[in-house]
Amino acid sequence: MARIFVEGWDPEYGTPLDQDEALAPAEGSVDPTVETDDWEPLEGMDDGVEHVAFVDGVRRVDARLTLDDPVAGPTPGLVGTFAVGATRWDRPARRSEITAVRIERWAVLAGGREEQMPPVALEPGVNTTTCASEDPGRLMMELHTKMRRAEGETATALAAECFVIADGPLNDLTAHPTVGYVKSHRVTYLEPDHNAVVAQLAPGQRTPLFCIADYKRYSWYVRLAMLDGGHSWTGTVRCETSGQLPKEDAVTIADRTAALLPLVASQPHVDPRAPQNLVPIGALEKELRHRMGDRGIVYRALREAVMEREAS
Amino acid sequence: MTDERQVGRVLGSEHSNTSAFRVVLDEHDFLQLDDLIVVRTQVPKAGEVRTYGVVTEAEAVYEGASYESDTHRIAELGIMPAAKVRTARIAVTRVDPEVWVSPDPGESVERAEGDERDKALYVDEMSRPLPVGIGRDELPVHVDLDFFDGRKGGHMSISGISGVATKTSFALFFLRMLTAHPQILGEGAANLRVLVFNVKGEDLLWLDKPNRLFDEQAAAGWASLGVEATPFPSVCFWAPPKRKSGDVLLPDTGGRHEGVEVFTWTPREFIDDDLMQFLLTDANDQRNQIPFVRERVQAQLKRFAVDVAGRPGAVVLRDPRDSQNGSWYGQQVNVAAGERIITDLQSLVDGIGEFLEPDDGTEPDFAWSGRVMGGTISAFMRRMHAGASRIGPLVRAGESHRIDRARASVSVVAIQSLHDQAQRFVVGALLNETFAEKEATGQRLPLSVIVLDELNKYAPREGHSPLKEMLTDIAQRGRSLGVLLVGAQQTASRVASEVLENAAIRVSGRLDAAEAERAEYGWMLPSTRARARLLKPGTMVVSQPAIPVPLVVTFPFPPWATRKEEVAADADGDPFAGL
Repeated sequence: MARIFVEGWDPEYGTPLDQDEALAPAEGSVDPTVETDDWEPLEGMDDGVEHVAFVDGVRRVDARLTLDDPVAGPTPGLVGTFAVGATRWDRPARRSEITAVRIERWAVLAGGREEQMPPVALEPGVNTTTCASEDPGRLMMELHTKMRRAEGETATALAAECFVIADGPLNDLTAHPTVGYVKSHRVTYLEPDHNAVVAQLAPGQRTPLFCIADYKRYSWYVRLAMLDGGHSWTGTVRCETSGQLPKEDAVTIADRTAALLPLVASQPHVDPRAPQNLVPIGALEKELRHRMGDRGIVYRALREAVMEREAS
Repeated sequence: MTDERQVGRVLGSEHSNTSAFRVVLDEHDFLQLDDLIVVRTQVPKAGEVRTYGVVTEAEAVYEGASYESDTHRIAELGIMPAAKVRTARIAVTRVDPEVWVSPDPGESVERAEGDERDKALYVDEMSRPLPVGIGRDELPVHVDLDFFDGRKGGHMSISGISGVATKTSFALFFLRMLTAHPQILGEGAANLRVLVFNVKGEDLLWLDKPNRLFDEQAAAGWASLGVEATPFPSVCFWAPPKRKSGDVLLPDTGGRHEGVEVFTWTPREFIDDDLMQFLLTDANDQRNQIPFVRERVQAQLKRFAVDVAGRPGAVVLRDPRDSQNGSWYGQQVNVAAGERIITDLQSLVDGIGEFLEPDDGTEPDFAWSGRVMGGTISAFMRRMHAGASRIGPLVRAGESHRIDRARASVSVVAIQSLHDQAQRFVVGALLNETFAEKEATGQRLPLSVIVLDELNKYAPREGHSPLKEMLTDIAQRGRSLGVLLVGAQQTASRVASEVLENAAIRVSGRLDAAEAERAEYGWMLPSTRARARLLKPGTMVVSQPAIPVPLVVTFPFPPWATRKEEVAADADGDPFAGL
């Protein structure tokens, strides 16, 4: 069995991957006529939904690992923590609370190794997993995938009692009314004519639905706010929901987001990612980062765990 | 039981220490200023250590709000999650046993009640706890009398702006506590004599009359202090004579004449008691050689003064060399034709003038003047003349009308109608008399308490005067001689520091904002100083050596009247008096 070492250098070193944006649709797979042929901005409508949950997760690499295998040579690994939770907005009571917080720590080893991280004196403890690839970049991906899965589970669990808005594209595309909330626009889905409508949106308005067939989802753009000096797409976000929902449900959901999201948009002086980074999500991320625990303490516990094993 | 008393836990996100820490409050309970708490900490090898404390500040914040505008997002729109966190700052009063460690973070904080409350306030260690006010929990707060009556410390200093009537009110309240609890005061209670100077208004001339505004709430306050709410049972009022009262002496008071005695000194008493020094109480009276001339003149007067047959208290000035045995001591003479009879201060000053500034323009008598420069003699005489006109009525021949402090346990001396200089004269003369008496016996008992407002006038920080020296002397040595000063002042920063520093018990009512920042109030916590600007009448900050933090207490409305209009109707038997 190879020994595990905790490396001393900054664990965040390396290229963070955001695979979510790699969802470029195939040519012709976007259908802009699913709601209407007549593309123009549509007013949002608040149907008075009482409970809204904003689901998000944060992750962090706590330490880099090296497996010292006398035969195969050093093999990389990492230990990371993710926290997933939700801000539950009780609209009649006019208050929000953080709920369903779930924190996990994972040691990810490359190359399909079978070594286990020794017990670490942390709460929660560290689980061990492996990824088949030898590519160090995939380690991070593994942690990210676990976080995204946890987000999906949290969203599904909350969907029973709340209208759920989850940060990022949807993972779980079964027929429930969860909304995926995508802040950045790296992929162009629409034809130039239709893109012009996005630019025309006023705050609280949305585009008609369009269908991304490859990914079995409805999607639409919402304008959160107009920013001084912004380009024509500033303050817009893309939302999506399951393609398996009846179209009427998707329309209701889209109207609802167009009405509600501007209410929780952040202010530029408060959040550099305003207005797309929603206030409940910003607060949730801050709390989740806090709940992951102090990185210095985690790092020390990991080193201690490895040392103890060596001593015994 | 423990759970019921718990109000919160020791804050863990910042350091607690042995003098202060913070408490995060439970959702369903609260702590307010002055509440008393206890924390039990398990200390390795030492066992359980209890930390007692008092709340000095209460705070609340939205945890999670990083911008001020987040408040709207949390409270009004409800779109931002946040936790309302309420905390209280604690000043540690005691650690028991004395293992000086900080309370552990996260430890349960409980209200200190019953025995725990007594421990928090050191009542269990006080040999003679005297109630001096009511705490926030409606229970009495005590001072250790050992620190007032001279056993371990003495004197009390009361500060506070005027107009809120707190200083004198508290002083009297304290006196009432002192006189109403003879069992606590112990042997000092017998023949306890209190001398109170009424320096402003006529607030103190009604101490023996019930107050018609006294209500049930006030009565409850007195009941909790264990004192029957009655006016002072044994008071005697003294006032100077009216200026032109002729042969019949009338007290110089406005609202009350009945039961007010007139006090004066005879020329004989003035000379024998060296009262001349209290004519020169202004700071610039001590410059040049004036005090030197005064000492010469005083000494000469004692040698020269002879009693006059048939004129009690009056004297004539004759050279002792003319007497049969070189001294006039114990003799009486008949007045010769044309001889000046000294019957009041003016005639005394004129008599002195004959020696110092002879009418015929010859040199002054060196035995009287001590060969000082002519200017000094003029300056001295000028002050004597000024004094004679201001203090005049207080010195007159005739029957002795000295203040008899033995007549009642509380003697109120009304000097509010007198000129500043005359006020200082009276205060000086009476303090001198009191202190001299005690110095002569060398005994601490019976105790003598002196209540003096506007201490900054009598013992100012700058300059020298016989009165200031007297008060400094009382502050420094009075404790062992059983002369206890309850001094009050608007601004402690203007009072001689020796007088302030010797006061073991320090009390403050509302303070001027600038005054509160001065070093004289270093005994207060910063939070107490901030509050001292806002204290209401009837609320005081009390500091005593036995407790390391100052306590805020209230004292109940007095059952005695403080104005004529407050005197209860039936006190005088006149049903319409109150109308």
